[in-house]
Amino acid sequence: MKKVLSICLFEIRRTFKKKSAFVLMFGMPLLFTFLFGSMFGNDTAVSFRIALVDEDQTSLSKDIIHKLMLDEMITYELVAASEAKELLANKEVQGIVRLEKGIATKLRNEEPAISFQPSPGMATAPLVKQQVNQAMQGVDVYVEAAQVGSLYFNESWESVYERLTENEGQIQVWTEQKTSTSTGNPMMGISYSSAGFSIMFVMIMMLSMTGILLEARQTGIWLRLFTTPVTRLQVMLGYFLSFFIVGWIQFFLLILLSSTLFDVNWGSPVALFLLVTALLLCVVGLGIAIAGFVKTVEQQNAIGTLVIISTCMLGGVYWPISMVPDAMQKIANFVPQTWAMEGFTTLITEGGTIGDILMPIAMLLGFAAIFLSVGLSRMKAV
Amino acid sequence: MLTLSNVKKGFGAHEIIKGISFQVEKGESFGLLGPNGAGKSTLISMICGLLPYGAGEILINGKLVGRHLKETKQIIGVVPQDIALYPTMSALDNLIFWGRMYGLSGNTAKTRAKEVLEEVGLTERAKGRIETFSGGMKRRINIGAALMHEPQLLIMDEPTVGIDPQSRNHILETVKTLNEQGMTVIYTSHYMEEVEYLCKRIAIIDDGKLIVSGTQRDLSNRLAGGRVLKLTVDSLRPSFIEQLKQLNGVEKVIVQPAEEIDVHLQSEMEIVSDVILLASRSGIAIHNMQLKEANLETLFLQLTGRSLRE
Repeated sequence: MKKVLSICLFEIRRTFKKKSAFVLMFGMPLLFTFLFGSMFGNDTAVSFRIALVDEDQTSLSKDIIHKLMLDEMITYELVAASEAKELLANKEVQGIVRLEKGIATKLRNEEPAISFQPSPGMATAPLVKQQVNQAMQGVDVYVEAAQVGSLYFNESWESVYERLTENEGQIQVWTEQKTSTSTGNPMMGISYSSAGFSIMFVMIMMLSMTGILLEARQTGIWLRLFTTPVTRLQVMLGYFLSFFIVGWIQFFLLILLSSTLFDVNWGSPVALFLLVTALLLCVVGLGIAIAGFVKTVEQQNAIGTLVIISTCMLGGVYWPISMVPDAMQKIANFVPQTWAMEGFTTLITEGGTIGDILMPIAMLLGFAAIFLSVGLSRMKAV
Repeated sequence: MLTLSNVKKGFGAHEIIKGISFQVEKGESFGLLGPNGAGKSTLISMICGLLPYGAGEILINGKLVGRHLKETKQIIGVVPQDIALYPTMSALDNLIFWGRMYGLSGNTAKTRAKEVLEEVGLTERAKGRIETFSGGMKRRINIGAALMHEPQLLIMDEPTVGIDPQSRNHILETVKTLNEQGMTVIYTSHYMEEVEYLCKRIAIIDDGKLIVSGTQRDLSNRLAGGRVLKLTVDSLRPSFIEQLKQLNGVEKVIVQPAEEIDVHLQSEMEIVSDVILLASRSGIAIHNMQLKEANLETLFLQLTGRSLRE
């Protein structure tokens, strides 16, 4: 164990001896967070003007409109369909939300009952869509409750729904409510950029760290290590531990700095610890896997940067994944950044707990297992 | 101290080491000579436990390398051909790190690193970063790293490649002193003058085989005349080679590329005039003629027909 720690501490000292490491670890991510965060706007200052068309004209649709209107982030204007089109054409609204005809039947059959038409080229369309969906979740609770109630009271679910909403505030809905510290806003701006660029620059840093293995092979240090009474396992553990600790130091300081400088609330510390740990295992594994397939540090940098930048684009690190076409969203499930961003979004915007991010953690650990087994078997062959 | 018995190593169908046997006694300085690609580094890697050997046995202090890797690695100190050091760290930090790898505790490693710096003559550069050192200074720290745990057997693989004469002399003196203090040394090089200076016993290997081994005196006796007359001629003809072989005092004639001929001489006999006369009669112009005196290099040439530095 002493030899493992000696290798680990020596590598950590070597890393922090380079001034360029500080720029890459902290300077660049904070700068990018600030620049991109500003482009997407401040988290709290976001406001949208949306035209609302009620094609159903029932008490249910009116109730949904009432719930949508409660949203502080979006200003709805209830208009006729033709006027909505005109407003959108004149760019006076950023989109149209339509409550479709037969909304009750559609809700009962769990079909889409509300459509959203964003203005062409609207970068923030997914955020509005997310906000509308969030408002609809409140309606869903009552719809589900009414459907269950209709079985007990032997009457139509619509009438049960009406009775439930009439007594809103007095009747306690028996659906289990999730304890949440969420602001109710979709993640965007600085928060989004903080999570995204922390992931990207930790990946870049880990790529540079795992390059140490290649450097050791090139300089002859790797072979010299094995002329000493050190086992392969001790060497690999020493290096792995150093990568992991440097990654954690970087992520921890980025969390601390973004909280202090940009007021980002990263959510539950325990859940965050687990998510970041799973992400780091995955990222270190990816670095080792790439190192196993190339011969020089230069090759690793070129290939690794290409892999990181492209998968970050695909995984929704720079912009919300909901902005890309469905096919791309499906492909995105095969990159770890998608799951990391999903985990961070859940923690930051929904105040999620460990239970809420089990899936992202499991997926990241799965990626880590694949990358590490490929990387370690390649390193063994060298 | 070290025994190799019929050691073989192959990569696929290609055999790199073809059954090498020799012994190195405790306190001895043993030279391993051979041209590039002869198999020296492969042999060293197997002794260090870096490569498994295909057949035979390697014993260090009676312990089988491979079965007792940890113990045998603790006995040896290896100076690799590459400068296997961390360039951005200081000489002191590098030495302490390698000391830790040999199991020294923090304080012992620090104390020992200072002693080693004195041994290699770089105490005043203890805190200097390796990347700022000259080639010779790097080589000295490279050796120092192998001395941290005071090994019983020091294995040096071409430790003086690409350095200035002053650093070379310092390294040779350091190794000689260590050997005089009782450390067993195996020194590989293709610089025969270094091996001649440092080593009492020498083994010459080529093409994965041990060609000859013994003390310097043994090898000198084998040389007999040992001189080689190197000729560069024009319009070389087979009949001329045949006539050269018939000359009194010629042991063998080897034709090299570019119309070069190595004439190995049996004794101290003077045959230069005979060779010139023969060439003149055969209508062959001699462009260059060089008489090489007897030494390890000419012995190697005599045995293999190749130069050590090829």
